[in-house]
Amino acid sequence: MTNPAAPRLAVSNISKTFGPTCVLHQAELVVQPGELHALVGQNGSGKSTLVKVLTGYHTPGSGGSVAVDGEHLSLPVEWAAAHRAGIAVVHQDFGLLDHLSVAENIGVGGYERTRFLRRVDWRRQREVAARVLGELQLDIEPTALVGNLSASHRAGVAIARAMRDLVPGGGLVILDESTRSLGRQELSQFHEMLRRIRSTGTSMLLVSHSLDEVLTQTDRVTVLRDGRVVGAGLATAEQSEQSVAKLMLGRDVDDVDTRPAGESHYAPGVTITGLSGPGAASLDIAIGAGEIVGLTGLPGSGFEQLPYLLSGATPASGELTIDSTALSLARASVAACIRAGVVLVPERRDRDGLAMSLSIRDNISLPTLTRHGRPWWAGRGWQATQTDDAIATLGIRPNAPMRLIQELSGGNQQKVLLAKWMSVGPRFMILHEPTQAVDVGARSDILNAVQRAAASGVAVLLVSVEASDLAAACDRVLVYDGPDHLTEIRSTDPDTILDAVYATAAAAS
Amino acid sequence: MKIETPSPQGIEETQYATPAADAAGATTALLTEARKSADRWAWARALSSRYALVLVWAVMAIAYLVIMPDKFGHMTSVQAIFGSQQLLVFLAMAALSTLIVGEFDLSVASVMGLGATIIPVLDGTHGVKIWLACLVALAACTLCGVVNAFFIVKLNVPSLVVTLGSGTLFIGIAKLLAGAGAVSIIPNNAFRDLTQLVVLGMPISFWYGLVLCGAFAYVCACTPLGRHLMFVGANREVARLAGIRVNRIRSGSYVTAGFLAGLAAIVVVSSVGGFDPTSAATYLLPTLAAVFLSTAVVQPGQFNAIGAVIGIYFLETGIFGLQLLGLTGWIQDVFYGGGLVFAVALATIVRQHSKSA
Repeated sequence: MTNPAAPRLAVSNISKTFGPTCVLHQAELVVQPGELHALVGQNGSGKSTLVKVLTGYHTPGSGGSVAVDGEHLSLPVEWAAAHRAGIAVVHQDFGLLDHLSVAENIGVGGYERTRFLRRVDWRRQREVAARVLGELQLDIEPTALVGNLSASHRAGVAIARAMRDLVPGGGLVILDESTRSLGRQELSQFHEMLRRIRSTGTSMLLVSHSLDEVLTQTDRVTVLRDGRVVGAGLATAEQSEQSVAKLMLGRDVDDVDTRPAGESHYAPGVTITGLSGPGAASLDIAIGAGEIVGLTGLPGSGFEQLPYLLSGATPASGELTIDSTALSLARASVAACIRAGVVLVPERRDRDGLAMSLSIRDNISLPTLTRHGRPWWAGRGWQATQTDDAIATLGIRPNAPMRLIQELSGGNQQKVLLAKWMSVGPRFMILHEPTQAVDVGARSDILNAVQRAAASGVAVLLVSVEASDLAAACDRVLVYDGPDHLTEIRSTDPDTILDAVYATAAAAS
Repeated sequence: MKIETPSPQGIEETQYATPAADAAGATTALLTEARKSADRWAWARALSSRYALVLVWAVMAIAYLVIMPDKFGHMTSVQAIFGSQQLLVFLAMAALSTLIVGEFDLSVASVMGLGATIIPVLDGTHGVKIWLACLVALAACTLCGVVNAFFIVKLNVPSLVVTLGSGTLFIGIAKLLAGAGAVSIIPNNAFRDLTQLVVLGMPISFWYGLVLCGAFAYVCACTPLGRHLMFVGANREVARLAGIRVNRIRSGSYVTAGFLAGLAAIVVVSSVGGFDPTSAATYLLPTLAAVFLSTAVVQPGQFNAIGAVIGIYFLETGIFGLQLLGLTGWIQDVFYGGGLVFAVALATIVRQHSKSA
């Protein structure tokens, strides 16, 4: 039977190889009852592989063991058995269906059924949903449509689904990069919920990119590098962001160069007047050549639309003047904007930024095909040179131009996306969340590359909710106060920027 | 059968000069990578993952040769296999032009059927000059493509629904025009020679097919347009944000498909001398089977023209041999249907294999 002294989860000596590459080497992981344990590592370090071994997706090499509450699971893990033993998973981006009700989403995979006809018993299903939501102290109506919920309530529903079958106070919930889509305010509510769950005795394993989150929210952390555990169950109270990052990378992190403080003077670069469209009503923005201007605001407030309005991707009106050429945004297509030197590095690299099934070289050369190629012959030499340059300057790994984007880590994908648009030779570069879901090493590479671009005279608009990025890389930051007003602040302190963002929320309510 | 395309520019980088050579160039890249990893058999794996289908084809042909050396091992067999599938080559290119940009056109065979009915109806029944009849048919087929594009791109109706419906509609119109049964043109030797003239032992339309395939492969692999098509197929939003006029390309693909189906109609009427609209539907499955087979060969995971032509002759070799063995009638359905499933399965396995390698 269950041994009360045993750890909630004990993974030992788990290895996994794909062909000749060993992605996980004798991994160990111990999570105690009622513990919030973090699992960190760069992309490709093996942390998702480890999670996938626990959920039965991958078959581990022989010799390892996985035990829940002292009971050994047979390997490869059978998901049904693991679930009975008390393992539950909250997926990346939650895996909720918007057009179904809360009760339906919570019930998926284990619907309550009526006795004779074996159809879904919706009344009992709603009771189940209400019970789990009650345990989580969430005030959500089980009949509400998930699509109509706020982001933090959606997170609650996803957790409720995971906890549905757990014995209260027992079990282990794996949160696999679940917090990516949450804004800062929602994140703090989410963390509060995690603390409540922990206080009941349920354990949690948090797979995360955010070292800040790991250090402030979790009890202990296991660090993976190149498939090996380099820090096993370290108490987070004794760690700093630098020490964990050093373990993850195996070297010290290059700092992001900070911009010189104080006002500097730039030659006129880009002037935008009367910008209107979704999320904007007659906004004026001016950015000097070589200047990096940040744009931030509350998640979901509408400032996320501005990059697309400025680059011809969403219909807008207003005028954009660049190097004394005026461009009417009402008439400008994406192609016209690119010709004028205005480029957008969009937010979702997998959806809007890169074709995942094509190669690094194909993706980088896409915007310049018609410029360097002739209609009857695209040419190859220039593409090879361009790609080699990009790989060298941004440090893209692996150094293999024909490698498909989907085989790269998130940080390297983001570098390819940046290289793709740098290759156009932009005059005005709009970056939307350029460091989203990338590891610390890639983050500093990316932000430093943006700074170098600015140093060569490019006007940069950095649209982001990451206050630390804005503070480090920007000359000044525009805070979105609503469609018709931006507040300018100059600060190298992330907290000052966040205060300004939340001041707009207070003013609005 | 090896398909060579003429080398358009030998100067820049010879290994990239033709689409076929591009594949070969990529293979060379794979080879060097493999040598670096000191894996002695990696080159064989790289080659087999790209050309597994050609290998299966060769094994099949050798098997037939062993079983019936007299019947199969004869020049007439080669001519029968390679001289009879021009129509499918044209139709496959029509289907490819939509599949490459991530669209789907189930109406190509019906559009061809409508065109192939219009020509004999105008020429045989109404006495219109054959050249004019061909032009009208070509225009009508292109118009069919415009109709498809309007509903799919402009009105955003799912392509499967539109082309399934419009295909049935077009063939219905063809039956209306033809009255009952087959229609024929007035015998015309010059028009017949347009496709049947024997050049280097093959009907000239066989060479047309190869030229069309080569041109198609060239556009896809070597021109900016081809690259844009590939991106529209891989991810529309990425293409749009790169300044490509995505909807224009999508519409263009349906119109091109209609035009190529019109050319296929001229080929079939010229070689047969008439057409029976009820037979049009039988060309759809072989076309799709060949096109999906292309995702398993030359450029695994991607629709490609050379692969489609290989697929066509692979399927025809299989059927021809089985027919020589005395299996007739039902064998076509079994082989084409089975071939389609086999094709997609092979492509999937090849893709997974190349990913984990």
